[in-house]
Amino acid sequence: MYFAGVDIGSTMTKVVLIDESDNLLSTIKGPTGPEHRQLANEVMSQSLEQAALRIDDISCIVATGYGRLNVPFADRQITELSCHSRGVSSLFPKVRTAIDIGGQDAKCMKINNGKLTNFVMNDKCAAGTGRFLEVTAATLGVRLEDMGDIALKATKKIQISNLCTIFAQQEVVGLLSRGENLENIVAGLHDALASRVAALARRLGIEPDLVLTGGVAKNKGMVMAMKESLGCELLVPEEPLLTGALGAAILAKEMYLKALAKGEALPTKPRQLEKATFFSQEKR
Amino acid sequence: MSDKSKGLSKAREIYLNRSQRAKELKAAGQTIIGYPCVYVPLEMLTALDLVPYQTCGDIREPVTEADRALPSSFCPVMRNCLDCALKNKNDFLDGMVTIHSCDPQEKTARVWESYTNYPYFHFIDMPITVRPEALEYFRNQLNDFRKTLETFTGRKLSKDKLESAVKFHNRQRALVRELYELTKPSPPQISGTEIIQVLKALTSLPVVEGNDLLTEVISEVKNRTNGLEEKPARLLIWSSTLDDTDIMQVFEAKANVVMNESCGGIRAYRSKVNFTDDPLEGLADYYLKEITCARTFRQATLGETRKDYARDLQSRFGYLKDIIREWKINGAIMLLVRYCDPFAFEMPSLKDYFDSIGVPSTYIEYDYTIGAMAPIRTRIEAFLETIDQ
Repeated sequence: MYFAGVDIGSTMTKVVLIDESDNLLSTIKGPTGPEHRQLANEVMSQSLEQAALRIDDISCIVATGYGRLNVPFADRQITELSCHSRGVSSLFPKVRTAIDIGGQDAKCMKINNGKLTNFVMNDKCAAGTGRFLEVTAATLGVRLEDMGDIALKATKKIQISNLCTIFAQQEVVGLLSRGENLENIVAGLHDALASRVAALARRLGIEPDLVLTGGVAKNKGMVMAMKESLGCELLVPEEPLLTGALGAAILAKEMYLKALAKGEALPTKPRQLEKATFFSQEKR
Repeated sequence: MSDKSKGLSKAREIYLNRSQRAKELKAAGQTIIGYPCVYVPLEMLTALDLVPYQTCGDIREPVTEADRALPSSFCPVMRNCLDCALKNKNDFLDGMVTIHSCDPQEKTARVWESYTNYPYFHFIDMPITVRPEALEYFRNQLNDFRKTLETFTGRKLSKDKLESAVKFHNRQRALVRELYELTKPSPPQISGTEIIQVLKALTSLPVVEGNDLLTEVISEVKNRTNGLEEKPARLLIWSSTLDDTDIMQVFEAKANVVMNESCGGIRAYRSKVNFTDDPLEGLADYYLKEITCARTFRQATLGETRKDYARDLQSRFGYLKDIIREWKINGAIMLLVRYCDPFAFEMPSLKDYFDSIGVPSTYIEYDYTIGAMAPIRTRIEAFLETIDQ
């Protein structure tokens, strides 16, 4: 039996295929983008190809992330908060707190036995999210993926006083024109983001083990800054982008096996890999 | 079935075109008085045959005109209300009564008065605590209100007329409570979305017409055969303002909202006005004490030096415990309107109270616009996932 988790985030789309022993058969990551948002079916096809499976081989599919409603072939939608909690727990069974910093939001989750018990999310703005680094990297003229390494070369941290992404961008322009050193500015930006997210996590209460996930967890400078801001150890999965999709796949498996064991109706439907349709397209 | 002239369908029609009836009444020679907040004692308007009309915002309307007068980091509900007024959507009003229920109301009232030109404009300076001195002060303020109303109408606001108006408005409060009885069964007989349509229709109608509408709705809902869908959670929403069906539908997609404790819900109807020798005393008492908006300062006992937090919470939020028990609520959402300081500061204590009585709760912030519903949807669904286990 095979199970799939499809996580359509604001920036990246992720698919994980597993078997009933949680072995990873395929993992796909790709940019969500304005086009890809409608093309969950294509990402799914790639994933199936990688695992040499057909769509009919998949017993149950859970979709998650902001685009979870745009996956017409999914059997069920579950929020990324529950999926991350489940995914992180499968990798770190002792986890009690998880912080996920994605492209458009930051979330802190309290976890008990693999289940989400409480959470906080950032306000509806880009402060405290990956977008903060994305926007300021563009202003500094450096690639987003280089930001973390640049931060690690800093000799001191420039204090960035504005947590609003737009104001921070203006502040960066001011610092550059004052002749401040690039590495020190970048380190300051990481520090600002980390302190914002740490404050969010403290509102929820931090209990070890603490795990950091999301695209931002791939940034070594950010992991360092988070450890400093939180003042505690931080675990990071090898593939911090995939925990949501992994959790979705595991939840699909658990749902399916539970229904099977109880002799209930299976949480699955006849499906084809169809493209998501939107109202705006129907009108065209 | 869909007879648009009656009951729920009629309420929906009025909700979608709220000012129509007021305009008709105006054309027939009636005088229409606007008010932005449920703290304005409507009895005093009704008693003088004035038609009260609540000036609401519209979450679909992008705020543009109000930016001339108000900062953007300001109560979005008041910005939106003022914006609608500045776009001449309330041109049929003969007057406006505003009240110092919170600072944004007071600041907006000044701007409203200077940018518009209604024949009548009155501001009631409402105190912020429930102490006896405050009640006396508020009663005097209502007496000033009486005087300007009498001057404006050229009629006397007699005790008889006021008592008769109180009866009609108390009847309305009783009918709204009866309406909320219909959310007690599982599944509820009426949705939170439908209730918003009915209540928002009420605040655009003369009290007697509103009572007739409520009576029709209650009888229609009681005889419903096609019940609502039973959802996995029965929610209480605590908010300053939740008065729009589009927002309510986001909540009701995966839960039954059986109680809306906001000024778009039951808040203004939970109790009744008592008859006193001076009717203004009964009105002052009701409006100051019985409407549970976070703008009012309350504490367990006056003059205590040692504070007992648990008892303080009980005295401020105890009424919610009864609601939670009677309506079998298994989740509470604290819906904050952005920049609403009174509710934002009340939230941590209320969260402690919900924790103390074992009710799962979460808070969600919104900015009184229709945009960016996806983040709200995710927060609601994640909250429902935490309580469904």
